[in-house]
Amino acid sequence: MAGTAGGSPVLASAGAGATRALLLVGVLSGSNRRGGWGDMPDEKNTVVIASAEQFWQVKTRRDFLRVLGIGGTAVLLPSVFAACDDDDPTGNGGGQTATLNLGSEVGILNYAFALEQLEAGFYEAVVASAAYNGMTAEQKEVFTDLRNHEVAHREFFRQVIPSGSRIGNLAFNTTTLNASLANTASILKTAETFEDLGVAAYNGAGKYLTAGNLLLAGKIVSVEARHAAAIRDMREGLGLAGTPAGTRFAGDDVVTTDTGLDVVLQPATVLSKVVASGFVATTVNTSGTLPVKPAGSTAEKAPPSPTP
Amino acid sequence: MKSNESILGSIDPEITERLVSRREAIVKGASTSSMIAAGLAMGSVPVALAALSRQAFAQPPANIKAVLDFALALEIFENEFYKAVLGISSSAAQNTAFATVRPMIPAAVVTAAQQIQRHEEDHVAFLLAAGATNVFSLTADSFNFTGNRSSTTPGPFAAATTDAAFLLAVAQLAEDTGVRAYKGQAENLISDPTVLTAALRIHSVEARHASKIRRARRALTGAPAVVKWSGTISGGGSAAAGITGASAAVTAAAQAVYAGEDLTVQAGINIAALTGVPSAAAASEAFDEPLSRAAVVAIVQPFFKPDIS
Repeated sequence: MAGTAGGSPVLASAGAGATRALLLVGVLSGSNRRGGWGDMPDEKNTVVIASAEQFWQVKTRRDFLRVLGIGGTAVLLPSVFAACDDDDPTGNGGGQTATLNLGSEVGILNYAFALEQLEAGFYEAVVASAAYNGMTAEQKEVFTDLRNHEVAHREFFRQVIPSGSRIGNLAFNTTTLNASLANTASILKTAETFEDLGVAAYNGAGKYLTAGNLLLAGKIVSVEARHAAAIRDMREGLGLAGTPAGTRFAGDDVVTTDTGLDVVLQPATVLSKVVASGFVATTVNTSGTLPVKPAGSTAEKAPPSPTP
Repeated sequence: MKSNESILGSIDPEITERLVSRREAIVKGASTSSMIAAGLAMGSVPVALAALSRQAFAQPPANIKAVLDFALALEIFENEFYKAVLGISSSAAQNTAFATVRPMIPAAVVTAAQQIQRHEEDHVAFLLAAGATNVFSLTADSFNFTGNRSSTTPGPFAAATTDAAFLLAVAQLAEDTGVRAYKGQAENLISDPTVLTAALRIHSVEARHASKIRRARRALTGAPAVVKWSGTISGGGSAAAGITGASAAVTAAAQAVYAGEDLTVQAGINIAALTGVPSAAAASEAFDEPLSRAAVVAIVQPFFKPDIS
């Protein structure tokens, strides 16, 4: 499933790589309050938590009980323990690898958390970029909104997933990230990729969730779809024609032309696209097996490859 | 049979699988469906085809079917609204009603509305194929888009037929109500992952529509900032609609459409207090809220002549 995008994890590298990593931490400081960049050579930024101890701290136990209270119930229990047996000695909390146990509901929540980290981190970098300063008022408003919304999603998942089974912070491949920030056009292109992928991911994951979490995912996915339409519309405004012209916000490339249904992807496909994007330095592994669902619910419609 | 092939070809791959084993049923049932006639009466080949293919489905369980029937009524409403606006309704009276405003709509908005209408029509066809029934026997003439049901006195939304900006505001109310309605029904579809997934995919298409409508409104001179370029719902209640100079009746309707959208606490977590979230406005924008079926019915009933409660 996973491979390390862009070579060795950025945060574990030394010399110039470490410098880049520190710059990245500066950009992404909003994501650095909890959890930890477990592999940072700088001790100040190293959070090493034995998972069992952390689990029994009052704060995290309260988090865990709260999640039980919103509908995780018994489904969560095995996964809480299953998530602790991985190759990461800090209890799945480091920056080099993140393991999603797709056989559990909390694993699906972690999957969403990973995608939200990607989106939020990207938009945090966008509003801090040089290109942002040259944007129109409309573009600035949109990217500020998207940053705010995706950060809210990311921090929500950080709170709602029990700390003992929560994945750590994903590290960006700064080479890919910086290239995407070169200008407004490249930023919009990356944003479109992430937003359409987010819509497809939530649409595909809904059936793996129990009631309370399904509703929460539904509250988020329509916001992602609003973002996607806005970004796609802005790109058409910059000369990228929709199919048909004027319809890029919900073009025939993302909505089926016979049934009017939006993009939808299964987790494995989404994760392979995330890896292929080259944005994530963290190795994202999966464990467990998704619950078997009817074949009719697992068909996919992928968003188009980024253009131009 | 060739006709069977074309029917199956018009159905989404997700449900084709359920259809394939029942080709015979299509042949047997095709001649008896009143919905085929209804589809043709609505001027919709996809609707007629879908009605034809519906013969092939086993009836969904009652709880699922109830949601599908409700969704179908909303989609027919949306579809007929856009067809009337665009002048392609099968009802001459509906086309005439929007004759004044039609030439005032910017060309780019017409293009968007055409795409949106196609999607709504596809949703109607899809829901029929998935087992929904047009339980209220809705046709193009079942609607009063001024919001006064069967009365001949123009209702509070009559300005939509003469004012393009207000027409777009009404479209936004309709799309956002649709998004909230589907969200409110998602949990009722958990027992059928195939239908749930399809409903989620319709739900996000409606959200794309709502986003585009907002952007079209924001592009107009004097649009309030609450109509976000990002296409998201900002705040809650009537203020979230961003309609300046609205009548009391329109304000009350908008209040219902956006009631509770300003929620900032999700699963017991205060989103506004989280790291990096700058404001309560941002916290509420980040999460769209559902509406119950009863709340949706209360909002849209004025536009339906038949009682849909």
